[in-house]
Amino acid sequence: MSLDPRVNRIDLHKVGSEEQHTNSHLITWEVFHQEKKGKQVIHVGIVHAPTPDLALILAKEQFGRRGATTNIWVTKTSDVYSFSSEDEDIFETTPEKTFRNPEFYKVRDRIEEYQAKHKTV
Amino acid sequence: MNKEAIQDLLYKMADDALIIGHRNSEWTGIGPMLEEDLAFASMAQDKVGHAQALYQICHEVFGDKDPDTIAFHREEKEFKCCQLVELPIGEYDFSLVRHFLFDHAELIRYEMLTTSTFQPLAQLARKVKGEIKYHVMHADSFLKQLAKGTEESHARMQSALNYAMPYALGIFEKSEYEDVLIKEGVFAGEDSLKEKWLEKITAIVTAAGLILPNVIDSNIIYGGRKGYHSKYLEPLLDEMTEVTRSDPRAEW
Amino acid sequence: MYGNTSLTAAEAKIMNQTVEDPILLEAFEAKIARGEKIEPNDWMPKEYRKQLIRMIEQHAHSEIVGALPEGTWITRAPNFRRKLALIAKVQDEVGHGQMLYSAAETLGKTREEMLNDLMNGKIKYINLFNYPANTWADIAVIFFLVDAAAIVNQTINAKGSYGPYCRALERICYEESFHLKQGHDNFVYLATGSQYQHDMLQEAMNRWYRPLIHFFGPPDRNSQHSEKLMKWKVKLASNDAMRNQFLDMYVSKILEVGITLPDPNLRRNADGIWEFSDPDWDEFKRVSSGDGPCNKERLEVRRYAEMAHRWVREALMNPSDKYKIPLA
Repeated sequence: MSLDPRVNRIDLHKVGSEEQHTNSHLITWEVFHQEKKGKQVIHVGIVHAPTPDLALILAKEQFGRRGATTNIWVTKTSDVYSFSSEDEDIFETTPEKTFRNPEFYKVRDRIEEYQAKHKTV
Repeated sequence: MNKEAIQDLLYKMADDALIIGHRNSEWTGIGPMLEEDLAFASMAQDKVGHAQALYQICHEVFGDKDPDTIAFHREEKEFKCCQLVELPIGEYDFSLVRHFLFDHAELIRYEMLTTSTFQPLAQLARKVKGEIKYHVMHADSFLKQLAKGTEESHARMQSALNYAMPYALGIFEKSEYEDVLIKEGVFAGEDSLKEKWLEKITAIVTAAGLILPNVIDSNIIYGGRKGYHSKYLEPLLDEMTEVTRSDPRAEW
Repeated sequence: MYGNTSLTAAEAKIMNQTVEDPILLEAFEAKIARGEKIEPNDWMPKEYRKQLIRMIEQHAHSEIVGALPEGTWITRAPNFRRKLALIAKVQDEVGHGQMLYSAAETLGKTREEMLNDLMNGKIKYINLFNYPANTWADIAVIFFLVDAAAIVNQTINAKGSYGPYCRALERICYEESFHLKQGHDNFVYLATGSQYQHDMLQEAMNRWYRPLIHFFGPPDRNSQHSEKLMKWKVKLASNDAMRNQFLDMYVSKILEVGITLPDPNLRRNADGIWEFSDPDWDEFKRVSSGDGPCNKERLEVRRYAEMAHRWVREALMNPSDKYKIPLA
């Protein structure tokens, strides 16, 4: 007798006591979630599902049962492409390319020097 | 506005939602796959939430007791749920087919109620119809997948449909207030609901390669709306109220 | 256990003897020392992968087995508020299991392999769920204090080195904070309610005290040395330190509502260390190895859930689908 009345309603002995093998192997889908219109759609995890419909339906509860959601996207894991980890070095020097950053361009000092010299203000 | 007519409608909707929500919550933690466990649990919460909202309307508009008291302190014969929702969860095939049959009826009912002359219900219907739409999407997707899956899953879906259909038709059991509700524009009636429902589910079931069983009138399981329930409701209520009854005056 | 790593002597030996590529290992360890995260496609030591899989898998199993004692009372929750909260809470546990299995999958073990191991008793889960939830008050204790203990563990582990596990833990910690509030709410209602409710809660607290002390694992002095796991940020704090933090945070919350703890020796000493009576580590060992009150039932129910639903998953499978290891 279990303390759980639900368990008492199940016929547990339907399943043998020898070693068992489950068959819980489905493909995975990468899930993207948008919290609010106008915001980015962000990768949040995976679901196991056989079809796009079921992937969306299951992702809704796995990732959208709390807080705000405006939409969810799914794509098969096998359809996502990424750089290999050996090639991640292509990104290494990017932070140093400060000529691409707004903060690199500082002209306040030059403006003030010019104004002082020519008394333009 | 006919108070008894509207109350009857609200109670039967709320009792249906409470009992099927309660039943579906039994799957939490023991479902067929993790993601589906979660989906069933969410839908169970939604249904229990709908029940609470409907009882709340009775409380606010008609001065009935608060939702907790209505749900946890009534006798079995005072419940107006159809017998379909009382049946034990059985195996997943039955629970899924019950979910499919019941939720389609509920969605159509709420869609019809969005234009009810009884404002609180119309408002609630407009608010929750999106939730129920998801329940139907879920049911349709799984039914389709399992009907076309394997020989075994197809057979199970058909057999569950054959078993559940006589009970499902009991959803549309008419009360004595049917004409009043239609006349006052509160609700367009069970016959109209049933017709729309049959059209909808026949199309989906047929597309899934299943056969919708033809049930003759005398085999339909009626009684729930008038307080005549299956042998399963009383033990369900005893279980549901076990803790509440252990100290009825306590605040939990 | 719950995001914890306890090594046996044999495992510690294997770990210390496994040879890894020295150059790659040095770069890997430097990365971790800098506070960087490791992602699934990065090179990692064999032992790192192995210990992480085991830790995350055990954590995942704990979540879904934990759903069972908690689910015992779902149909008997005494009002709408508690009913909705309890279904939501147990659902979250299953959701956490899903996220954790997914994180472990990125390391190369499939969900199917993990569920097989759980079902056949090959991998452990947190000991505490081998105890029964005898009364409604047990739910209040579990919901409040077990989740509190889990949060202590998970908050610390969220600072670990493996990206997917950290991300899963952040989400889990956020959801657990709801459980904690709900659990505390339930606990307080019972403690401050009728005499019947208070007594029911006290009796439950008396039974759960020792399993809670056991929760963080054996004392450091009895544990295998896991410096490598600390260096690799797989293990982030000692069992004793986490247990102490938990007691610091929650003993006062229990006492403030008039519930006592069944240990005359429980006290915080002048150095800020909590002292307590020996919680019987032999019982802990016995229950972890399968000899607890509910081990058999937990496994039977898990097996039922897996095996009785084989037909569902078979109907969901598509033989032409090719599985690929998830990315993040």
